Amino acid sequence: MATKQHLVIDPLARLEGDVRADVFVEDGHVVDVQVEAVMFRGFEIILRGKDPLAGLIVTPRVCGICGGSHLYKACQAIDTAWRTEVPPNAWHIRNIAQACETLQSVPRWYYAIFAIDFVNKNYAKSKLYDEVVKRWAPFVGTSYKIGLEISALPVKVYAMFGGQWPHSSFMVPGGVMCAPQLDHITRAYALLERYRTEWLEKVWLGCSVDRWLENKTWDDVLKWLDESESHRNSDCGLFIRFCLENGLDKYGAGVNAFLACGSYIDPEFYPVSTIEGRNQALQSPSGVVYNGKYYVFDQMNVREDITHSYFEGSSLLHPWEGETVPLDPEVAKKQGKYSWAKSPRYLIDGKPVPLEAGPLARQVVAGYEEAKSACPAAGRIEHGIDPLFKNIVSKIGPSVMVRVLARMHEAVKYYKWVKEWLAKVDFKDDRFYKKPKELPEGKGYGGTEAARGALQDWIVIENGKIKNYQIVTPTAWNIGPRDSKGQMGPIEKAIVGAPIKNPEDPIEVAHVARSFDSCLVCTVHVYDRKRGKELARYKLGTFK
Amino acid sequence: MATVLWLHGGACNGNTMSFLNAEYPSVCDLVTDFGIEILWHPSAGLEMGNQVQALLKDILAEKIPLDIFVFEGTVVLGPNGTGRYNMFAGRPMKDWVYELAHVAKYVVAVGNCACHGNIPAVPPNPTESTGLQFHKTKKGGFLGEHFVSRGGLPVINIPGCPAHYDWITQVLVALAVGRAKDIQLDEYQRPLTFFKTFSQTGCTRVQFHEWKISAEEFGQGTRKGCLFYELGCRGPLTHAPCNRILWNGVSSKQRSGHPCIGCTEFAFPWFDLAPGTIFKTQKVAGVMPKESVYEVDKFTYMLHAVTARIAAPKWATEDIFVV
Repeated sequence: MATKQHLVIDPLARLEGDVRADVFVEDGHVVDVQVEAVMFRGFEIILRGKDPLAGLIVTPRVCGICGGSHLYKACQAIDTAWRTEVPPNAWHIRNIAQACETLQSVPRWYYAIFAIDFVNKNYAKSKLYDEVVKRWAPFVGTSYKIGLEISALPVKVYAMFGGQWPHSSFMVPGGVMCAPQLDHITRAYALLERYRTEWLEKVWLGCSVDRWLENKTWDDVLKWLDESESHRNSDCGLFIRFCLENGLDKYGAGVNAFLACGSYIDPEFYPVSTIEGRNQALQSPSGVVYNGKYYVFDQMNVREDITHSYFEGSSLLHPWEGETVPLDPEVAKKQGKYSWAKSPRYLIDGKPVPLEAGPLARQVVAGYEEAKSACPAAGRIEHGIDPLFKNIVSKIGPSVMVRVLARMHEAVKYYKWVKEWLAKVDFKDDRFYKKPKELPEGKGYGGTEAARGALQDWIVIENGKIKNYQIVTPTAWNIGPRDSKGQMGPIEKAIVGAPIKNPEDPIEVAHVARSFDSCLVCTVHVYDRKRGKELARYKLGTFK
Repeated sequence: MATVLWLHGGACNGNTMSFLNAEYPSVCDLVTDFGIEILWHPSAGLEMGNQVQALLKDILAEKIPLDIFVFEGTVVLGPNGTGRYNMFAGRPMKDWVYELAHVAKYVVAVGNCACHGNIPAVPPNPTESTGLQFHKTKKGGFLGEHFVSRGGLPVINIPGCPAHYDWITQVLVALAVGRAKDIQLDEYQRPLTFFKTFSQTGCTRVQFHEWKISAEEFGQGTRKGCLFYELGCRGPLTHAPCNRILWNGVSSKQRSGHPCIGCTEFAFPWFDLAPGTIFKTQKVAGVMPKESVYEVDKFTYMLHAVTARIAAPKWATEDIFVV
């Protein structure tokens, strides 16, 4: 007779906070899960009554990993509230900085957070295990060291324009604070070339970035893998082979519905900062993909469900109307609430649906031809419209492997884009800022694509100060608890169905959670509820 | 050889991200070259989860010596002093912090949140956040005014939002190689070696400051002029080495045209982010900066300013950081 096991995973840590997960396993598969975010900091409450510019100082400090992304959208929220005119140079610099944050994140996340799981002794029987350990073991792995050290380079580019990374506030309504010089541009090229030659091509791809970008389908990727030893032996090649050998292409699908709010403004399409005109100007397109169909993204359709969140009430409000009244978790638990995360939902034909945010979402959205008409600027930049991941998802479905591959694919695209934007900075049109009129009343919306996905702010300004401020993060889209209809969010949904080969060491749960990059650095603590005693300890990075 | 345990309270992870940018030494160097044993770190540690719980218990039972306890983020006391807004491994984080601080040889607060509460502690302070040994500018904080760790030092505060990686790594190395006695602390328990000088020290715009030539606005105007007079720069008032030890090895706020926001001072964020205070110099009578770096009366200051401006060389009004 099958027995249901209750695995308590505590802490299932995020980088900027901790998470606990209750996982129920039956017949070797996860049948149910509850994911709890266990920390609250109240930034939206702090922002009320403050200077409208406070978002530029405060929101980067929501998350030190995506601080530049927080700045980008916080700034855009005020831009739209004040209807600023941002000079083209300023948009290019904002785009360069924002993309460099993601270029930093890709190797840092892969080596420091994700790949160390493959060193777990559960995989000792894999024929690739020795190679994986040699490359990806923490601190001492050959690729680990280069990956960690190379990740500090793109943020040097950020720092030249923004003064520092993390936690700059150099983007301001109307432009940027900096007025770069020629040597900033030339050094930025040099840093990017080092990133490409020392890691992206040499270690990750084993081929040129242009060769990789020729891949338009899953079949192309498989052919690429077999094309040469250098492809097979690259970290990317090893990752794909390891995933296929160990079934990481078979689980972790999630809701299979996607959201991208888009990012990287093309100033030609955006003379004045407005909410309505934003879609057109996005070089990384926005869109929602639900049941395989593309929908034009409209921020008015975003709602926050708090039925199972540790906040007062059970509302389903648009963020301009959003409320953040915390409850003592001990009290809230009695009302069936179980997480500090809210559950963002998107209205499709009036029905709130959960959506996955992140690189896979961005890449799936970018595969739809409709994205080209909704976001014409995306059709103008090389690989803005990109069919690869729409094809992969339709061919083999989303999974842990596919989600990770989408993230790594973006390093290649963004490397190209940053070079394109650097080339567009025009010293003849020497403007990086246009002083805006600071309107005392207004509503603003700012969105961008952080490394982890759609990141958005809604601001209401009244009497020259902030009346309401709501931040909707990609982690909330992905990790939020069930909503009023009992619908799971993407991470909960993706964990359900995952095979647990060894209940005493359920590494698969960690893979799924981490593939979303919700800052999950976790350990699984397994209890046998019946006996009430610890069954096993699960430890990450057993290699030493 | 020194053991390090690093925990996150009400944190954004910014100090960890800054730490991972480290160059000389890099984080890998700390482990391989300086024999620093990272017992656990939420992002970079080897052993995690229940192993961590076991490890923490072993540390508290003094089976494993803890040389350096690094804390990032605020100590969250809410709601109503229970600490339940920040649970960690089944228990309020504040309880772990209290006990670990009392068995560690040295306690290091990394970043403003751990030092004095920072942004989370801005009124209305919804999480009842505080720093390890300060609450804003007031001594006391979570561990109390008189706390001294076993190694004989109070909490070593490395402020900054975030702290620069170099400030963190050099303090860790100093402690690891037995130079704790050389770490001199100021009244806010910041290492003087970093925090005696000002953020303005080494600023490439200091000549403009002397000639009282102001940058008028962001962007184009900021290749020239000083950011102090109009744009709220706190460089002359802030203890920090940002222009001596550059950020990411390449720049500083002022070098990029970004006014210093005074993030190493314990009153940060200044004026609690009240309307009209961000990136705008607070002035008396619309002219004189309210917070002067000169200890002189208003008349003498104005006389000095006018004279300096009249005597300013031609280049002081030109774009000297040219394309």
